[in-house]
Amino acid sequence: MTEGIIGSLHGLERVVLPALLKCRCVDHLCKHTDLKSVEVLRALRWLRDKGLVEIREDSTDFVELDDNGRTYRSKGLPERRFLNAIGNGKTGMAEIMKSTDLSREEFNVSIGILRKNDLITMEKRKEPVFDITKKGTEKLEDGFHAELILKKLDEPMELASFEEEEKEEVRMLRARRGILKIDPRKKIEATLTAEGRKLAESENLKEKVVDRLTPGMIKSGNWQGLRSYNLKASVPRLNFGKKQPYRRFLDEVRIRLTALGFKEMSGPVVESEFWNMDALFMPQFHSARDIHDVYYVKNPKRASDLPMKTVERVKQVHEKGLPGSRGWGYKFDYTKTTRHVLRSHDTSISPRTLSSKDLKIPGKYFQIVRCFRCDVIDATHNADFDQIGGFVVDDNLNLRHLFGVLRMFAKEFCGTDEVRVVPSYFPFTEPSAALYAKHPVMDWIELAGAGIFRPEMTRPLGVEKPVIAWGIGLGRVAMFKLGIKDIRQLYSHDLEFLRKARVT
Amino acid sequence: MPVISFSFRDFQDLLGRTLLPGKFSDLVALYAKGEVEWHRNDEVKVALDDTNMPYMWCVEGLARFFRGILEIETGLPEIKAAKAGKTILVDHSVKKIRPYIACFAASGKITEYLLEQLIQLQEKFCEGYGRKRKKVSIGLYSGKHVAFPVSYKAVNPDSVKFTPLEMNEEMNLPDVLERHPKGKAYGSIIKEFAKYPVLVDNYGQVLSLVPIINSNTLGKLKVGDSEILFEATGTDEDAVELAANLFAQNLYERRFELEKISIESGQKKWESPVSFSEKMEIKNADVEFLTGLKLSQSEIKNLLEKARYDVSGNSVTIPDYRRDILHVFDVIEDIAIAYGFDNIESAPLESYTAGSSTEMNGLADTLREIAVGLGFQEILSPILSSKTVLQEKMEQTGNDMVEIENFMSETFSAVRNRLIPIMLEVLSKNKHNEYPQKIFEQGLVSRVAGQEVEDREMISLATSHAKADFTEIKQQADAIFRSLGLDYSIERLEGNAFIPGRAGKIKVGGKDAGILGEISPKVLKNWQLEMPVAALELDLTRLMSIIST
Repeated sequence: MTEGIIGSLHGLERVVLPALLKCRCVDHLCKHTDLKSVEVLRALRWLRDKGLVEIREDSTDFVELDDNGRTYRSKGLPERRFLNAIGNGKTGMAEIMKSTDLSREEFNVSIGILRKNDLITMEKRKEPVFDITKKGTEKLEDGFHAELILKKLDEPMELASFEEEEKEEVRMLRARRGILKIDPRKKIEATLTAEGRKLAESENLKEKVVDRLTPGMIKSGNWQGLRSYNLKASVPRLNFGKKQPYRRFLDEVRIRLTALGFKEMSGPVVESEFWNMDALFMPQFHSARDIHDVYYVKNPKRASDLPMKTVERVKQVHEKGLPGSRGWGYKFDYTKTTRHVLRSHDTSISPRTLSSKDLKIPGKYFQIVRCFRCDVIDATHNADFDQIGGFVVDDNLNLRHLFGVLRMFAKEFCGTDEVRVVPSYFPFTEPSAALYAKHPVMDWIELAGAGIFRPEMTRPLGVEKPVIAWGIGLGRVAMFKLGIKDIRQLYSHDLEFLRKARVT
Repeated sequence: MPVISFSFRDFQDLLGRTLLPGKFSDLVALYAKGEVEWHRNDEVKVALDDTNMPYMWCVEGLARFFRGILEIETGLPEIKAAKAGKTILVDHSVKKIRPYIACFAASGKITEYLLEQLIQLQEKFCEGYGRKRKKVSIGLYSGKHVAFPVSYKAVNPDSVKFTPLEMNEEMNLPDVLERHPKGKAYGSIIKEFAKYPVLVDNYGQVLSLVPIINSNTLGKLKVGDSEILFEATGTDEDAVELAANLFAQNLYERRFELEKISIESGQKKWESPVSFSEKMEIKNADVEFLTGLKLSQSEIKNLLEKARYDVSGNSVTIPDYRRDILHVFDVIEDIAIAYGFDNIESAPLESYTAGSSTEMNGLADTLREIAVGLGFQEILSPILSSKTVLQEKMEQTGNDMVEIENFMSETFSAVRNRLIPIMLEVLSKNKHNEYPQKIFEQGLVSRVAGQEVEDREMISLATSHAKADFTEIKQQADAIFRSLGLDYSIERLEGNAFIPGRAGKIKVGGKDAGILGEISPKVLKNWQLEMPVAALELDLTRLMSIIST
């Protein structure tokens, strides 16, 4: 047992343990071992963890040098410097001040002390003139006891450790400005346990131990005597490079969607009302539009790059419909359609892709993008939020495929087959459905919405095939995964939160 | 997305059948695009998803719909109204202000509950569907003391006085707009016109200032009254007629006796409300195309009748209280809903398609991987920021920032145009946390460039601790460019945000690809930062174009 412990002792412990036979407080241990107090403390803690030492913490007054104290320690006390300056006989005030570099306050204090002790005399003339007394000359030879105190204070010392006369000096110095500080401090004392005493006296302790394996030791093969470590000792926390947890969650969604055969789309943050709403067959002056409280851009106010032929076709459908559709029957406003807004939903990207010459049929598309709505910000609403959505285009897609897409998402993003698909409403799809999925822990959640884009939307964009539009709402799942209750924390600036966040 | 509240007992009375509350919740979710919330006693609240089907925003409408779904009563709902005996004269002066009007009279028992329900539908209809009364507004009057014919005309605002509801003094029309709460709320609809529209009876008594407020004498419908005069006015003829048709249908189903009202406008004369009598042709092939369901003619007929349509051959008649059908697909959706989404089998997607991320996100991910490897913690911030963060604290000026006109709070009033300010914002919020702090963010910024706005993908790395300096941040840049296999050079950069002589432009292939440097103490002070910060910012959009050429 003892052998095992000895083998695991750190170099510091090996030094401190025997020292404890002679002293118990940290200061003394430091002196005795020539170690720094942090090293002694570390060794004591390790020894305590091994049951070799008991530690007692007390509070006691400590004396330490203050700013002036440090200066006087090297330059001497003002009264000593004063006395030195008149060592050769009568000297005027101006000359003393010049040669001693004393401040007016220090000068006055010095006069007080020196006269009180009859070390100097003062003649009041136009300028005061000072002379040293016999007692003064003796004092210069004898030395100032207070200076010894300053010299002693290499580091803070326990008040109790001073002799009685010294204590009087300490008291007097403390009464003067900025020389000494006396504050209560923690005082740590350690005593050996029975086992600790046995080990401290053991001869084996003196055997040479090796702490660190060095290249030289490997080369020479001479590495015996490496001590064993305390494997349970705690280590300082490391702050390391790490992805943001919510961004990582979104990365994973992106990877899954690409694995399912979806191609990623992108679109601009500053969008025209045309792509954001009009191209989705959302009438310009209709309550459907009120769902989105859009942010309007101050400058530039209008888009100058709209595809005018497409705008014209969209306008026609809004105003008069298509064969088989009534349209909205109002006058389409060109000024409104060019107005710049911040993208209020991810679906703004779909008409851009659908009307693009790069559109592939069959095709599956997705986007994960930041959207913006003018909303009061609270635990459930952010000014920015991420939306995940897209579409599938192919020959002969119908409501049954739409259900298939929704079920696939439930499986993929909630790990469940337990779903409920119910009718829903989006201004640009018909029919429309919402997906509820039974999450293994969160229970039933509304996970996704989907619909078949209205022909009034797709045809003006040049698409004749059915298009299933879909969107997944993973905000709640992300919050659940990150263990947060406030949606604003998804974009947290709290470094501690991010450093502590689990990588899952 | 309207939320309505009503008595569940009343719902069951209208339905003609009792239902368990749980069953009702299920039915609403599965058929009515809504969600049910149960309250104390008998009160139930239903939140509806749609914005275009006001006929579902009332207990009468829900009961009518479910009578069909549960096959208690199918096909077009019955409605009967007596021929018109009363007349409303429409003056040409309203033509350019608010031209359309529809109305009817009804007699029956007005209870407190019915009054609440009427007002609830009136409000939901006018606020949402009626665009805050601009497109349609509805007035309900106690019909007994109104002397017909009533005139609908526009008058000089100072020429007419009346006592509006909830007030006890006569006011002229500008006063009503100025002082009455409803005048303040809706006055802007008519303020711009020289004349204001009013309804006045044969004795010259004002019924209402349209579409603001009724008169306190004629326009106050009370419990115990037995005669209702209904009018809807507006700028959209369809929506005005729809309002009258819907309220007439609801009251008819509450056993009120309806009477049409004759409207005379110049040479034209008709009886209101007007039936749309809208029909659509439906083909089996269309049903199968959209739903994937193989249904026979009779199955389709049956489902349509459950959804309260009438069917004759291929021709479907749409109820007059509906105006949401634009395309035959809207009718087909109702077939699928009546069939029951629970009964529709899903089908897998069959075509193979290759998935991929955008090229830009590929590059962004590479850079993020390098930054993590360099020991930096990733940050994700809102894209919305403010002039304070992006310019003032950074000692920057310029006009490439996209600002928002109608922002809610200054904190989110502009789109970020750089990432370094965001890094400093993050550091300023973490002064109490352990140093060194090494952070990065990859994401979009937007900048005004002439008449256009350009989005750019960027990455920024920032390091902050007592010894953070130019060398350290240049080391990061160097590591990044060596990893990408790109040569780069640094040229001196002058800018207020950095310490002069300690900031550089990063050039790749002769083009600006980013900046780096030690942040100026003045900027640090603006952020109340006490530790040195060195940061870099790379333009990935630029790098992408360099890499691909």
